[in-house]
Amino acid sequence: MAHLDTSEGFAVMAAGLRKRYASDPEALRGVDFAVRPGEIYGLLGPNGAGKSTALQILTTLLLPSAGSAQIFGEDVLAAQRAVRRIIGVVLQETGVDPLLTGWEALELQARLFGASRTAARRRVHELVELLSLQDFARRRIAGYSGGMRRRLDLALGLVHAPRVLFLDEPTTGLDPLSRRSLWDLVRRVRRESATTIFLTTQYLEEADSLCDRVAILQAGVLVAEDSPSGLKRRMRRDLIELEPQDPRLADRLLAIARQRQPEAMWDRQVVRLAVADGAAAAEDLLAAAREAGIRLSGLRVAPPSLDDVFLELTGAPGPDRLAGSGS
Amino acid sequence: MRVLQFVQELWLLTARSLKVAVREPWAVLPNVVISLFFLFVYDAGLGAIGQLHAFAGVPYLAFILPVALVSGSVGGAGAAGQALVRDLESRYFTKLRLTPVSRTALVMAPMVSGMIQLVAQTILILLVALWLGLKLPGGPLAAVAVVLLAAGWGLGFAGYAVAIALRSQSGRTAQAATFVFFPLLFLSDTFVPLALIRAGWLRIAAEVNPTTYVFDAMRALLAHGFETGPLLRGLAAILALAFLTLGLAVHAAQRSLREA
Ligand SMILES: Nc1ncnc2c1ncn2[C@@H]1O[C@H](COP(=O)(O)OP(=O)(O)OP(=O)(O)O)[C@@H](O)[C@H]1O
Ligand SMILES: [Mg+2]
Repeated sequence: MAHLDTSEGFAVMAAGLRKRYASDPEALRGVDFAVRPGEIYGLLGPNGAGKSTALQILTTLLLPSAGSAQIFGEDVLAAQRAVRRIIGVVLQETGVDPLLTGWEALELQARLFGASRTAARRRVHELVELLSLQDFARRRIAGYSGGMRRRLDLALGLVHAPRVLFLDEPTTGLDPLSRRSLWDLVRRVRRESATTIFLTTQYLEEADSLCDRVAILQAGVLVAEDSPSGLKRRMRRDLIELEPQDPRLADRLLAIARQRQPEAMWDRQVVRLAVADGAAAAEDLLAAAREAGIRLSGLRVAPPSLDDVFLELTGAPGPDRLAGSGS
Repeated sequence: MRVLQFVQELWLLTARSLKVAVREPWAVLPNVVISLFFLFVYDAGLGAIGQLHAFAGVPYLAFILPVALVSGSVGGAGAAGQALVRDLESRYFTKLRLTPVSRTALVMAPMVSGMIQLVAQTILILLVALWLGLKLPGGPLAAVAVVLLAAGWGLGFAGYAVAIALRSQSGRTAQAATFVFFPLLFLSDTFVPLALIRAGWLRIAAEVNPTTYVFDAMRALLAHGFETGPLLRGLAAILALAFLTLGLAVHAAQRSLREA
């Protein structure tokens, strides 16, 4: 069949995925993916966008209402076992038996994937090393901190050296240091074993620093797909906030801002405006304010947040235009 | 090859269930204690009525022992459901679903582990009964048959417990569902033979209650040895329950494993 020939070349391939839970509005409304082997692919979206739903369908845990998906050509509906053999999955909420030790959980996992006892032990040794689990591998999981559990969960997902690793919000709830070390780990896994990685995240920063390509999911629809730099180029908006020392001068400060950007507004004690080039505009605004004798108590120039991306991609301009330009 | 692999998977999963059960003995121990309590207290308190004609020469210890065994086996079956609920709630079950092991092995492992616990517990209770003075005219084979009946009855309940656990995915519901065990255990010839039961409704309830036939089969084995009639009726009750509940469990497993 023709579509099989095309899906073979992709690590993850999905067409027209839809999912409706009970009577709720559809959680996925026709989503396509084509992830290349070796790629780190990010699915970015806010709470409830449908990220976990998509990931669970791709990993055989959930039946789609419509659509199809293949992992390296193996169909997630027709060849579930074959798919499970080649994917590793770390879900949003860790699932580990608190009464086992990390070591036991890893060894069992390896054996359930068909490894002999000796091969399983060797693999567990490797993973304990790779993820620095030495200090607590022999302790019961019940006593692990959230960060330790995440690391163990990642190890469990890697036990059988999967060709595609799925990570659902791998760093949500981690402190900044653990987050960075997890990013390093993901990169290292990709580098050392050419594993394809499909991850979901709510953080633009994470998608930016980790992913080769990012798709933005909003209310069950992919509204854009591009490299992080491509997305940012498309955004081309920095946010500037100016806080006058004397709130009574707000009107005059706003007037100055509006001369440069008519959509500038007064909001929560600051003048806020979005511009193409934040640094240059801030310099110009500062000079104008000084000239008008307005002292500032606060100034912030920020790259677009995820909120801004969503506003830009799904808000006022209308999703159709951007969905069209996204693919 | 396929079969060998299935057995291997089932064994790995069962061994893990047993390991965890041993680490959390408080889930099982009360059940053993309650069974032994039945044995001690009823035999001590009511033992003398065994002299009544209606008992037809069956010593009261042999009469009450099946009650202790059945209550123990139902508890052991509940443990299978509880083990599954634990895994569902900790989401470890989802992790297991992501492995290529057979779905059947996944659902059977807690049952098999529950049965192993149950057999150990039944043997323990039998040993205590022997120490209390139980005679076995049917010989050791009769005792083995009693253990197998208890295991079969427990398997029937394990199917029920597992079906409820899969359907409800909730520990509390699964726990609440084990309460059917009360009417089944007590609306029967639990303490005295049918002939001594006064209330007509209780006699009728006892006659439709399959537990009655399990009790009678065990009592016959303990007091006389192998007697075809009671043994066949007991086996029929067990097979009927096991078919029904294991069917339910398989159905629940197919549904929830595809949907959830
Ligand atoms: N089991 C379920 N039953 C009913 N509705 C569900 C179920 N799981 C998810 N939903 C609904 O589907 C939509 C998408 O949920 P999903 O969990 O896929 O979002 P998400 O992008 O992963 O969100 P988050 O960032 O919060 O994890 C939500 O509206 C959610 O309420
Ligand atoms: Mg999610």
